[in-house]
Amino acid sequence: MKLLGKALRVCAFAVLAGSILPALTANAAEKEAPKDIVLTGDAKCTSCHDENDSPEALRIGKTKHGAVADKRTPGCTNCHGESEKHVKEAGRGSGPTPPVDVGFTKKNAASSQERNAACLSCHQGSKRIGWQSSTHANQDVSCSSCHKIHDGKDPVRDKADQAEVCYECHKEQRAQVSRPSRHPIPEGKVNCSSCHNVHGDNPKALAKSSVNATCYSCHMEKRGPFVHNHQPVTEDCAICHNPHGTVIENLLKARPPFLCQECHSHTSHPSQSAGLPAGRTGSTTELGTVGRGCLNCHTNIHGSNSTQNSATVNRFRR
Amino acid sequence: MKNMTRVVKLTAISAALLAVYGPVHAADDEVSQLTKPDSSVSVGLGYWTEDRPQLGIFDGMRESGAYGLLDANIVKRDDATGTWYTFSARNLGLESRDLKAEYLRQGNIGASIEYSKTLRDNPHLFLTGLRGIGTTNLIVSGAGRNALPRNEVELGTTREGTTLGFYKNLLPGLDFNVSFKNEEKDGTRLWGRGGAAEFAVEPIDSTTRQLEAVLNYTGERLQLSGGYNGSWYDTHNTLVDTIRQGDNPTVLNNHFFLSLPLDNEAHQLFLDGGYNFTPSTRGRFKVEYTHATQNERLPTSSIPGLSLAGAPSRLNGEVNTTLVQLGLTSQVTRNFSLGANLRYHDADDDTPVRRFVQANARCNASECVDNTPFSYKTLTGKLEGTYRLPQGYSLTGGYEQREDDRRIPVSNANGAGGRDTQRVVPMRSDVEERTYRLQLRRTLSETLGGSLGYIHSEREGSHFISAAAGPGGAPSDLINPINIADRDRSKWRLAMDWTPLERLSAQFVYENAQDEYGHSQARPFGLRDGSAELYSVDVSYKLNNDWKMSAWYSKDLTKANQRGQRAEIRNRTTGALELRAAEKDADLSDAGESVGLSVVGRATPKLKLGADVHMSLNRSKFDERIIRTAPDPVPGVAAVGPLPDINTRVTTFKLFAEYALRKDSDLRIDLIHERWKTDDWTWQFANGTQFVYTGAGTSAATFTDGTSVVANQRQISNFIGARYIYKFQ
Repeated sequence: MKLLGKALRVCAFAVLAGSILPALTANAAEKEAPKDIVLTGDAKCTSCHDENDSPEALRIGKTKHGAVADKRTPGCTNCHGESEKHVKEAGRGSGPTPPVDVGFTKKNAASSQERNAACLSCHQGSKRIGWQSSTHANQDVSCSSCHKIHDGKDPVRDKADQAEVCYECHKEQRAQVSRPSRHPIPEGKVNCSSCHNVHGDNPKALAKSSVNATCYSCHMEKRGPFVHNHQPVTEDCAICHNPHGTVIENLLKARPPFLCQECHSHTSHPSQSAGLPAGRTGSTTELGTVGRGCLNCHTNIHGSNSTQNSATVNRFRR
Repeated sequence: MKNMTRVVKLTAISAALLAVYGPVHAADDEVSQLTKPDSSVSVGLGYWTEDRPQLGIFDGMRESGAYGLLDANIVKRDDATGTWYTFSARNLGLESRDLKAEYLRQGNIGASIEYSKTLRDNPHLFLTGLRGIGTTNLIVSGAGRNALPRNEVELGTTREGTTLGFYKNLLPGLDFNVSFKNEEKDGTRLWGRGGAAEFAVEPIDSTTRQLEAVLNYTGERLQLSGGYNGSWYDTHNTLVDTIRQGDNPTVLNNHFFLSLPLDNEAHQLFLDGGYNFTPSTRGRFKVEYTHATQNERLPTSSIPGLSLAGAPSRLNGEVNTTLVQLGLTSQVTRNFSLGANLRYHDADDDTPVRRFVQANARCNASECVDNTPFSYKTLTGKLEGTYRLPQGYSLTGGYEQREDDRRIPVSNANGAGGRDTQRVVPMRSDVEERTYRLQLRRTLSETLGGSLGYIHSEREGSHFISAAAGPGGAPSDLINPINIADRDRSKWRLAMDWTPLERLSAQFVYENAQDEYGHSQARPFGLRDGSAELYSVDVSYKLNNDWKMSAWYSKDLTKANQRGQRAEIRNRTTGALELRAAEKDADLSDAGESVGLSVVGRATPKLKLGADVHMSLNRSKFDERIIRTAPDPVPGVAAVGPLPDINTRVTTFKLFAEYALRKDSDLRIDLIHERWKTDDWTWQFANGTQFVYTGAGTSAATFTDGTSVVANQRQISNFIGARYIYKFQ
């Protein structure tokens, strides 16, 4: 029995010694060559900015950048620069630590171009080819103004949360989206990038080359061409509609008959005064405001395919 | 004692082992928590106390009652290969659900499938005798004994979209992406019968398909993106035949045919490129060509006796769009950057012009009708320079010139010339707009940044092509249509970001735009001027490490002044229509105010609380006046004016509490109170009663249709929801 006890103690000692010694030697080795924690080559940074010092920085491991098996993924210095001064002087002396070469907070002096260059060195292609001539680039917007690089969830890439990020600058659109007639943006069914390529240089940062081409992506039935085309419809949907939201049904910018009278002035019912009928009436001069307004009769206002041999067939009533 | 000794020894050994391995494992676990992708699944139940006819039109929770709340976001990554397996489901318990599954071996190959269902309900309730709703044969309620009993009808559409995606990295820097989306759209939409103000319903049953195949090359200096984009619209309904109850269906004139959009398709080839000549100079080009057609058989051409003999049965519609864009951006000196862009966009409607209506051979005004292809050629040039000043300031100046060349089919078939005999709105073929821009910006500051910008543009164009004479005999081209009228526009924008403390930040935005539209004695009507103003303030404050709050307020005001000719009016004494020498002047305005307040924090380490309030108030005013009454005093209009203001108020108050049951699971409770209130008169008569479609007829005994519309003006509903959230990695 004593023999067994001795054997156990020896084994335990051996295990203990075997565990401690490598750990001690490893600690000594780590001091000489720190190991990466998340990204390839991150030890230069994470030897200080570890899970205790900067847990939020390590969250980059949750992102596509953290999939290190993809050899294209960056290390810290690919984006932040070698930052030798920061590395050498951090924690030494009583003065402030010199900043990294390229930082993405307000405190860092790097320009938006310098910040964006870090991202564009890999992400210049595809829909970001036109970034440098985009409105956002011209306004000194940097990638990190909208994107959270160090977090597993980047709100601007989430359908439900994206609009809130855009509202940080686009206040007018935030107000418009809360109006009664709108796209299902708060519901996350349509988001800003459904219509806009914010990295591109199309007019109004649209996803397609024109307003109409963008709208046709979802409203293809309006594309036509029709037998009877309504001129402003073929030119620009935004002449009559505000896609971000209005107080009038169907995203109309103004209410009939006022909207229609921005182009139609001729005598008879097209130039009727706005007013609500006192009761049931068949008079077209009194029906341009109530209900669908002028569209009560001119129902196919986006275009008509009727071939009926009628002099008014091109009035979008058939 | 021996046992005690043994226990002490074993405890010492255990402690020693723990001392070595314990922290290592705990540190590994902590790092793993921080660096591995997160997943979660939440399951719960929610309950709305009342129907939400207006505020629930999109979210699949329009009716009161219980709803399943099921969401999932599962993200797994094989670190050894960089392979992602993701599955996300949102609103799985509701009709408005979204699902997506994706496989991605990062940097190599990937595939995804996505499903999304989107609802859009009409907020109103229709009481109607209309028969055949949802079909292509509608029977409208007739007069007297031909009146059909009314039923309650709700209208709405559903979109169900499925998207397949595939990605493959072919070579270093060369990726291939393809996506295909199929969307089925079904349902019903508010429509009109067209011959008179009669209720009708458009049956919607269509399929759209979109295919995009792209090759992307990303090199250090050169980037290219080229491919094909195809889209197809396929409708299963092409024509709706309507008739009144009691009318003889064998008489062609008793039918009113309503056309529908027909099948169309578009095919686009594109190439987008950029080249870095130097680290500070980049060139850019983009080329697109799109061929779009609509050539389905025109269904009304198949109805005997309806169409002009010899009129085409197909449109042979064809629109070819070309885009060419060239750009250059350069950091010319350390402090000066320059950007130039030239863009040519030509949407050329090549549809042949054919005759569809001809009342007589002379084709005087409103006697002949051809199809109307419109083409637009736009050339835009832009030059912009930014000079960086000391102390983080920069000054930007820019100039843009846009020239529109519109090809408009002008029909002078009677040989008279000078006036288009078919269209009823004047048009100009050339429109030119010049825009000047100046901006002062300060961005490099820890505490205060912002910008002040000014934009001025001037738009003018060629002479107007007069429109056909109006039905009243007077020319109908006395107007400056809004999209081509001469216009001077000035816009100011002031934006400030202020961070006085690390915990406090504020934003302020002010925007002002002024439009002045051209008019003349010969062409007096249309918009005269417009303005828009916006103030917005946002404040965010972090009370401590656990609590933060944010608040915002926006106020906007849009105004327009519009001048128009006044229609003939009905003399209330004689009942006759009279044309008076009168004009009308309307001051229109929309004012909006929005407030948001949000507080989120931790009451205890396990309990997270949040509150969110959002209020929005919109007020529209319609001040229309008759401004010239000579030579005769103008009697009151038959329709009752002026129009009352419309006020719409929406309030949403949300509370949530999230309690950590364990490290990997939470319980979340949501409470929502929402209110909607409006005095919108859109679907009302002047006395506030429900609008009733009159149809044909001139008296109660002969009125047809009789559909009335119930527009909900007040809605209050409350929601309570509880979810169990399980989190894992």
